Amino acid sequence: MRLALIPGRRALAAAAIVRGFAMAKNPPFRRVLIANRGEIALRITRGLRELGIESVAVHSDVDARCAHVLGADHAVALGGNTSAESYLDFGKILAAAKRTGAEAIHPGYGFLSENAAFARAVRDAGLVFVGPNPEAMDRLGGKKAAREEAIAAGVPVIPGTEKDTGDAALIAFGKQIGMPVMVKASAGGGGRGMRMVEREDDLAEALAAGRREAKASFGDDRMILERAVFPARHIEIQLIGDQHGHVVSLHERECSVQRRHQKVLEEAPSAVVGEELRQRMGAAAIALAKRVGYDNAGTAEFLLDPKGNFYFLEVNTRLQVEHPVTELVTGVDLVHLQLHVAAGGKLEQLLAGRDLRPRGHAIEARICAESPETGYIPAAGLLRVVREAEGPGVRVDSGVYSGWEVPPYYDSMLAKLVVHAPDRATACARLSQALRDMVYLGIPTNVDFLKRVVDDDAFRTAAISTDMLKHRPELAAGDKAGPDDHALAAAVLTQALGKAGAATGGGNGGGAAAGGGGDAGSTAVWQALGGFRLFEGAAR
Amino acid sequence: MKITREFVRDGKTVAVTAEFVEGDRWRVRVGDAVHEYHAKALGDGGVRMQSVGESPERAFVAYGAPANKAYMVRADGRTWTLEAPAQKRGGGAAAGDGTVRAPMTGTVLEVACKPGDEVTAEQTLVVVSAMKMEHKLTAGVAGTVKKVAAQKGGTVDQGAELVVVEPKKAEAKS
Repeated sequence: MRLALIPGRRALAAAAIVRGFAMAKNPPFRRVLIANRGEIALRITRGLRELGIESVAVHSDVDARCAHVLGADHAVALGGNTSAESYLDFGKILAAAKRTGAEAIHPGYGFLSENAAFARAVRDAGLVFVGPNPEAMDRLGGKKAAREEAIAAGVPVIPGTEKDTGDAALIAFGKQIGMPVMVKASAGGGGRGMRMVEREDDLAEALAAGRREAKASFGDDRMILERAVFPARHIEIQLIGDQHGHVVSLHERECSVQRRHQKVLEEAPSAVVGEELRQRMGAAAIALAKRVGYDNAGTAEFLLDPKGNFYFLEVNTRLQVEHPVTELVTGVDLVHLQLHVAAGGKLEQLLAGRDLRPRGHAIEARICAESPETGYIPAAGLLRVVREAEGPGVRVDSGVYSGWEVPPYYDSMLAKLVVHAPDRATACARLSQALRDMVYLGIPTNVDFLKRVVDDDAFRTAAISTDMLKHRPELAAGDKAGPDDHALAAAVLTQALGKAGAATGGGNGGGAAAGGGGDAGSTAVWQALGGFRLFEGAAR
Repeated sequence: MKITREFVRDGKTVAVTAEFVEGDRWRVRVGDAVHEYHAKALGDGGVRMQSVGESPERAFVAYGAPANKAYMVRADGRTWTLEAPAQKRGGGAAAGDGTVRAPMTGTVLEVACKPGDEVTAEQTLVVVSAMKMEHKLTAGVAGTVKKVAAQKGGTVDQGAELVVVEPKKAEAKS
C-alpha cells in the first residue's frame, strides 16, 4: 500500500512534461539583456528564445556585426572598442537595459560576470542579475575570501597566503614554503594573472606581470601566493542553487589539459572520478555554497593529486565556458535553470523527476584564434571561410561566421566544439573527426593542435595532468614537414574550382544545387534566429 | 582550363599547375610529379578531391582562402599556410635581422629599450598585449638599438616595425 503512494518514474516524467509546458507558457522574464559578446551571448540568446524571452544584445563599435548582435532580438550600441569602454561599463549597460525595458541582465562569463559591485548596481536599478547574490559573490569571488570560507566549511585547501601582503612579504613567504609556487590574481578567474614560479629569482617579475594582467582583466591588481600541487588533475564541480536554500551538484568536469592555466579540453565525467569521490567532492562543494548562501550557477574548482586527495582552488561565481559538457551528460540546460532560479524558481520543482546521474561522455575543445605552432600568438583578422562540424552528438557553440573580422580587443576564443558519445573512447574518436571537419581560414587557429592532442595516446588513455602540455611541447609545435603534394594540389584546385563554384552556385561536379556561396550559407543561421532590430546608441 | 601557382615548400619554390582533363578530372603537376584527381566543387567554396587510379586514396575535402598575403588551405583535416615565392616572411617574431615587428595587432604595454642601448639576443625589448595576453618580444640578435618606433600605450598593426637593432659584427672578427 505504501508503495502505491510513491509516484513511479513514468508518472514523474509525465508531471515534468506538464510542468515544462506550464513554464514555457509563463516565461520567467519578458526581455533579458546579455552583457557579453560572441559565442556565449549567442548561446544565451538561444536559451532565452527557447523560454519565450526576448534577448537584448549589447556591443562595442567593432562588434556591430558580431554574430551575437545579428542573432539577438534587439541590439544596443555601447560605443568604444576596449572592454573598459564597452562590456565593462556599468553605466552604459544599465542604461541599455533601461532603454530596452529589459527586466534582467545575464552577464555570461568573463567581463562583469563575477563583479559583485555590478550585481549590486543591477539590483539597485530594480533589475534582476542572472547570477549569484552579491553577498555570496563577495564571500567567494576573491580567491582569499573563498579560501577562508572553504576552511570554515571543512573543505581541504592548499597552503598559501591569505591576502596580498605586498611584493616583499609575498616573495619572502614564497621562499619559506619553497618552490614551485603559484602567484595568482586575488580577484581572478580563468587563469588570467596566474603563473607558476619555479625559481625564487623569478618571483618578482612574475608578480609584476601578474599584477598587470590582473589590472587589465579585473581592474584589481592584488595578488596572492601558494604552494603548487603537481602533477595535478583539474576537477571542478558544477553547482546550481536557488533562492530557497537548495543547492544541487551536477557533478564533475575534468579540465586537466591546460596551457598557461587556460583550459584547452574539458570533459565530463572525469575518467578518474568514481562514484564515491564524486559524492565527496559534490558534498564539499555544496557545503561551501550553503555556508555562503549561494544561489544560481557556480563552479567549485579543485586540484586532485595522484593519491586521490583533492584541494579547493576557487569558486567561479558564474556560468563557465565549459558548461556544455555538463549539459550533455546530465540533460540539464544550465542557462534555462539560471533564468528560472533568478526569477525565484525552486530547484525541487525545476529538477523534479530528473535523473541527474551522468550518462555517456562529453568533451569540449576550445577553438581559438591563436597559433600554438608559433608560441600561441593570438591572431586578430578576417575569417574568410568558416565551416563548422556537424553530425550526431556534435554541438558547436560558435560566435563567428565567414567574413567576420576577429577584433584584437577581446578573448581569442572563436567557438566551442563539444561532442557527446556513449563512452570516452567514442567521444575521443568523434571529437577527432569533428576537428577534422572544422574549417577556419584567413587567420591561424588552434584546430590542428587540438586534433594532435586529442589523437595523442596520453589523451586517449586519460593520462592527463595540468602540466601535460608544458612537458609535451611537440604537441604545440606540430611536425615541421612541409605540405605534401595533395595539399599543394588542393591549394590550386580550390582556386580553380572553389571560387567559381561558389560564385555561380554550381560547379562541374553537378552536385552544387544548393544556392548561394559560403557566406550566405553560414549567416543563414543568424537570420533564421528571428526578428532583429537595432536600437540607437545607448545614452551615456 | 589551366592555372599555375608557385608556393614555397621547405625553402624551395614549387610550381603547381592544374589542368582540366574531362568530366571531373584534373591533372596536377607539383614540381616534377604528376597527379590526377577527381575534383568536385561543393558549392560552398569547398572541393572534394580523390586521386584517380586503380586503387585510389581516400577522398578528402579542401577549402582555400587568402590570408595575409599567403594562401591558406585546409585539406584532409590539416591547415597549411602557403607562402608565394616573392613574398618575404611576414610579420613574425624576431627573424634575426634585428627588426622587431608586432606578431599580431595589439597594444604596446611596455617599451624596455631606447636608442643607443646595447641589448642581448634574448632581452625583452617590447611587451605587446593582444586578446588579453602579454607577449614579450626580443630582437633575436645582440646589438645596438637604432630606432624605437613603439610607443607605450599605442596600438600597433600586425607586422609593424617596433624596434630596430643593429646586429653586432662579432662574426666578422672571428
